[in-house]
Amino acid sequence: MKRIDSIIRPQNLDQVKEQLAAIGIEAMTVTEVRGFGRQKGHSEIYRGTEYAVDFVPKVMVTIITQDERVDDVVEAIVTGARTGKMGDGKIFVTPLDEVVRIRTGERGNSAI
Amino acid sequence: MKNGVLCRAAVLLWAGFLVASPAAWADDPKADPAGIATGDKGSVVDAAGNPFAAPAPTDPNSPDFAKNKKDYDDFQSQAAKEPLAVKLADSVGHIRVATNFAWTLNTGYLVLFMQAGFALLTCGLIRKKNAGHLMMLNFAAYVFAFIAYYALGYAFQFGAVAVNAAPSNLGGTPTLNHFLLGSGQWGFLGGRGFFLTGPAYDAGSNCLMLFEVVFMETAGYIIVGAICERITFWAFLICELFVGAILYPVFGCWVWGGGWLSQIGATLNLGHGYVDFAGSTVVHAVGGFCAMALAVILGPRLGKYGKDGKPRAFPAHNLVYVVTGTFVLLFGWMGFNPGSTLGATDLRISVVAVNTNLAAIAGSATALLLWYFMFGKPDVTMACNGMLAGLVAITAPCAFVSPTSSVIIGILAGALVCFGVLFNERITKIDDPCGAISVHGFCGWLGGVCVGIFADGTYGAGWNGVGASTYLGHAGQGVTGLLHGDTRQFLCQLMGATLCALWAFGATYVVFTIVNKIKSMRVPPEVEREGLDVPEFGMQAYPEDAVVSQ
Repeated sequence: MKRIDSIIRPQNLDQVKEQLAAIGIEAMTVTEVRGFGRQKGHSEIYRGTEYAVDFVPKVMVTIITQDERVDDVVEAIVTGARTGKMGDGKIFVTPLDEVVRIRTGERGNSAI
Repeated sequence: MKNGVLCRAAVLLWAGFLVASPAAWADDPKADPAGIATGDKGSVVDAAGNPFAAPAPTDPNSPDFAKNKKDYDDFQSQAAKEPLAVKLADSVGHIRVATNFAWTLNTGYLVLFMQAGFALLTCGLIRKKNAGHLMMLNFAAYVFAFIAYYALGYAFQFGAVAVNAAPSNLGGTPTLNHFLLGSGQWGFLGGRGFFLTGPAYDAGSNCLMLFEVVFMETAGYIIVGAICERITFWAFLICELFVGAILYPVFGCWVWGGGWLSQIGATLNLGHGYVDFAGSTVVHAVGGFCAMALAVILGPRLGKYGKDGKPRAFPAHNLVYVVTGTFVLLFGWMGFNPGSTLGATDLRISVVAVNTNLAAIAGSATALLLWYFMFGKPDVTMACNGMLAGLVAITAPCAFVSPTSSVIIGILAGALVCFGVLFNERITKIDDPCGAISVHGFCGWLGGVCVGIFADGTYGAGWNGVGASTYLGHAGQGVTGLLHGDTRQFLCQLMGATLCALWAFGATYVVFTIVNKIKSMRVPPEVEREGLDVPEFGMQAYPEDAVVSQ
């Protein structure tokens, strides 16, 4: 089992969701996050004084899936989230020890 | 123990003023609490303001005595022949005053609603972590300043209004006729009507009170915009009591209560005396410069200026509130300015209403476009400040100027507020989160001066008792400014508006420097970093931001 966390632009969330639905991903968790990478922040002017937006708003999509589906999922996310400009985000894939469905107590792949 | 002392002091104060203002002196007019004796044939005038009933001449030494006596005798003989007409005139006079009551009270309710507008505007402009604290300040401003005005402020401001400035549209309030300090044309403080008892327990006086207390409230909440996000609640309450009882009523007495500043046209030959129609200075500059003194004493918010002395921006947390609040204020201003005629029978109200709107849109357009030009993007908070700046600046001249002049005044105010905000932010480094000092202080001063520049003489004949028959050689010539040939009016306005700024800043600065020495008026730094909501009131404005276990 793998956990796939992708940090993407908020405005690309719908496309990512559609791409994932098209390959049969049925569950995901979305978190509003802020941060910066190479894109860095930007500055704006409020009432004549400059201020920096260091932490840019992003959305983190978390998906748990079987090992053999990881490549499909990653490809779907990349297709949905890529604009080609700096700030498109990153995808982190990590191994996952256990999954438990609370309602039934099922464990492992059948709980995904 | 402390509360006990305060309670006893309040009771003693109240008892003292009851004794000091006896309910009725031997030759005093009687108060009319039921309103059944207010408005009779003496209140009947034609469209030009000429009275229906000639009053009995009182001063045998007056040069017009013979003419007045003849008018009076003619009226008496005519009245004896047509008693029914005189009875009808009594009804007409009552209806006239009733119409004006309705107008004055309803416009007063509009001004009251500005409280909501200001709460929204200022709340939107500050940071989320202080929003609950700010709403409490706006709320308490209304309550505590009202108490102070009821107890002392109203009597200080209007306790002698019948001496020189009787509001004839409301029946004249003849019972408010005694100065506590000064007398005749040199009155400095009113002295009747403390706690609205005795002479002030009168229908006309209460109509005036409702309208004037909401004006005072305007000055009371202006200060919130400059001192929020760092003042303690107890210090704020003292500020409100000070504004409602002393700071506002004193200058208000001088200009609207028949005090000395309104009479210097008659006494020192300075035009029509100091003229402020609806309160650019009496209300807004008093609030704005009081706010400035408090902001200087409190100092800037933590982190507002970096170690290098450069300002940092704390962006508004809710622009929806800012814009909604500004339009609520604009709506309320339709009571503020047209209502200041104290009567719907004064048909200048339509010109006043249009002038007020014109200055608002001119000020807003100027600030918006100026910002667009200077910084590349228009700033909606500055556009809103520009609208308020135009409103503040037109408030004094709105009845005396043409629509064209109103647009020019709005443009001047829209520019002044932009440079005022930048000036405070970058040069004086007085931290003013909502721009209250520029909007109400600087533009209020500008409004007072603009009367002396743009007044065109079409309105206000006989204002402050000057030029009732002719002025500058013309019959019916009203308040006139520099551009229309009255230099002395301009000098008078320049001096009066500047005096207002000095009074409001100076008195506040002295009093609250002392208060601040006794106990710091500012919250501790850790409270300011956390946000004032929870440390001061135990509640957040947006509780969904906190994770709370049930």
